[in-house]
Amino acid sequence: MKKMIEVLWPSFLIAGLAEIVFFTVVNPQELYFFGEPVRVSDLATYSIGFFGFWLVCAASSLTTVFFQRGADEINHPERYRDS
Amino acid sequence: MSDPAPNRSAAPQASAAPAQEDSLYAVREKVYVRAVSGLFAKWRWGLVWFTQILFYGLCWVPWNGRQAVLFHLVERKFYIFGWVFWPQDVFFLAILLIISAYALFFFTAIAGRLWCGYACPQTVYTEIFMWIEQKIEGDRNKRMKLDKAGMSGRKVGIKGLKYGAWIALSLWTGFTFVGYFTPIKELVAEALTFSFGPWELFWILFYGAFTYLMAGVMREQVCKYMCPYARFQGVMFDPDTLVITYDNERGDPRGARKKGVDPRAIGKGDCVDCGICVQVCPTGIDIRDGMQYECIGCAACIDACDQVMEKMNYPKGLIRYSTENAVKMHWGMKEILAHVMRPRTLIYGGILTVITIAFLWGLATRSPLRVDIIRDRAALAREVADGYIENAYRLQVMNMTENPRKFVLTLEGADGLRMVGPGTVEVPAATTQAVTVQAQIPYGSLEPGSHAIHLSVAAEDDPAVRVREHTTFIMPQ
Ligand code: SF4
Ligand code: SF4
Repeated sequence: MKKMIEVLWPSFLIAGLAEIVFFTVVNPQELYFFGEPVRVSDLATYSIGFFGFWLVCAASSLTTVFFQRGADEINHPERYRDS
Repeated sequence: MSDPAPNRSAAPQASAAPAQEDSLYAVREKVYVRAVSGLFAKWRWGLVWFTQILFYGLCWVPWNGRQAVLFHLVERKFYIFGWVFWPQDVFFLAILLIISAYALFFFTAIAGRLWCGYACPQTVYTEIFMWIEQKIEGDRNKRMKLDKAGMSGRKVGIKGLKYGAWIALSLWTGFTFVGYFTPIKELVAEALTFSFGPWELFWILFYGAFTYLMAGVMREQVCKYMCPYARFQGVMFDPDTLVITYDNERGDPRGARKKGVDPRAIGKGDCVDCGICVQVCPTGIDIRDGMQYECIGCAACIDACDQVMEKMNYPKGLIRYSTENAVKMHWGMKEILAHVMRPRTLIYGGILTVITIAFLWGLATRSPLRVDIIRDRAALAREVADGYIENAYRLQVMNMTENPRKFVLTLEGADGLRMVGPGTVEVPAATTQAVTVQAQIPYGSLEPGSHAIHLSVAAEDDPAVRVREHTTFIMPQ
């Protein structure tokens, strides 16, 4: 549970920031998706954009958490099952 | 975080002690916050009312036939009373963020976590949620008893009522939140027929759930583990910062005693060790252990302790707003106030003032008209009838006011330069209008190559509203 929050929360914050910066500069009307203009509603574009950012940031956090494990945790994973 | 040992050792403990719940972050003892009244509680509630009337109310205020405050995502325009902001105004947003940051530094340096204690949405919503809890489940002792009691119809009823009230409030909060991003009138119409757009509904539920989770479940854990400000606020403190302080010298040694007994006569300090300051603390700490990063500066313990002191007929202020230096050197309020002005606060305050003035100045002189010129790349120059060379330009004319306006276009900067077309453009309120302008110059009257010309756009009703843009005219060989 703790690890899950460690992954989801910081990525949520940064995704929010990224979303604001990105869509201030980019108009969803002018986006292209595989060469096709994006045809979903603007609200949907914003929302999908946010979750996209969240996903990417979460992937980064997940990697951090993954590499953070100490030698002991890798050698004896059974002692660390709780989270 | 990197050391999982405490987690491990605590795990078996959690099952042994029912008061502890193995909660989101660490093993967490559920905090049963005791309600408190007093001067600072009044301040806190005043700010709860103020911020929440603002939040729940402002989205309903009409202005010029539209919502007064609306961050219209689909139109990509922010309406704030008389102002309309466009994505091009992101500069103002950035400055506003900087101002907020400096204001936070400034107030933190002077009086610690004022923001946390009185204004942060986390505090405010937790306060409201706890108030509901208190009204439905009763005071602290009743709540603890209820949680310990086995399942019964009564318990299910009370808990159900509480969760129901929380959910209702959360949904209302989510609805209000979304009402700042899509016009709330449309939302109401959609709510009546329950025909929300999928994403609108999604965000109402998402923000509602978020509120519920933060204020109903996580509470002090947000401040302890999730809040970035809580982590770095310490660097803005110095020994002259006002913080909530327990007066060790006066309070210790602590201990129970009968009313009317002179504490000095029995070798004790003023603290009667009733523990009420701990019970009222929303983060569940004991302020008597000294300054701790968990303390959000809500001053609940001050109110609580003052009431006890009053009952005991001791002077108030065993726990009070004070500074590290003041406690050490036994300063009174006068000396404390004299130390408010110090390099740190003067620097923060100075920067804050300068940026704020610049911001206001920028806002006041913000042009209500904006023009972008896009050169027609496909055909830079072409020959037209009677020996003229024509260049075409596409203009984006942005009328940033809320009234439709007519603009006059003029070209200047080269001999024989003339403009083809109507020469005016009407732009509806708060919109961008694209126009094409053709400039013509007789062939041979200029050297071949590129020449600077100017294009002016001016409001017909107010020539002072004028933009002069620089562009180029290409004369072919
Ligand atoms: S610690 Fe963070 S979340 Fe908690 S009250 Fe302060 S600013 Fe708000
Ligand atoms: S110690 Fe006092 S001021 Fe600090 S959070 Fe607890 S009750 Fe509030």
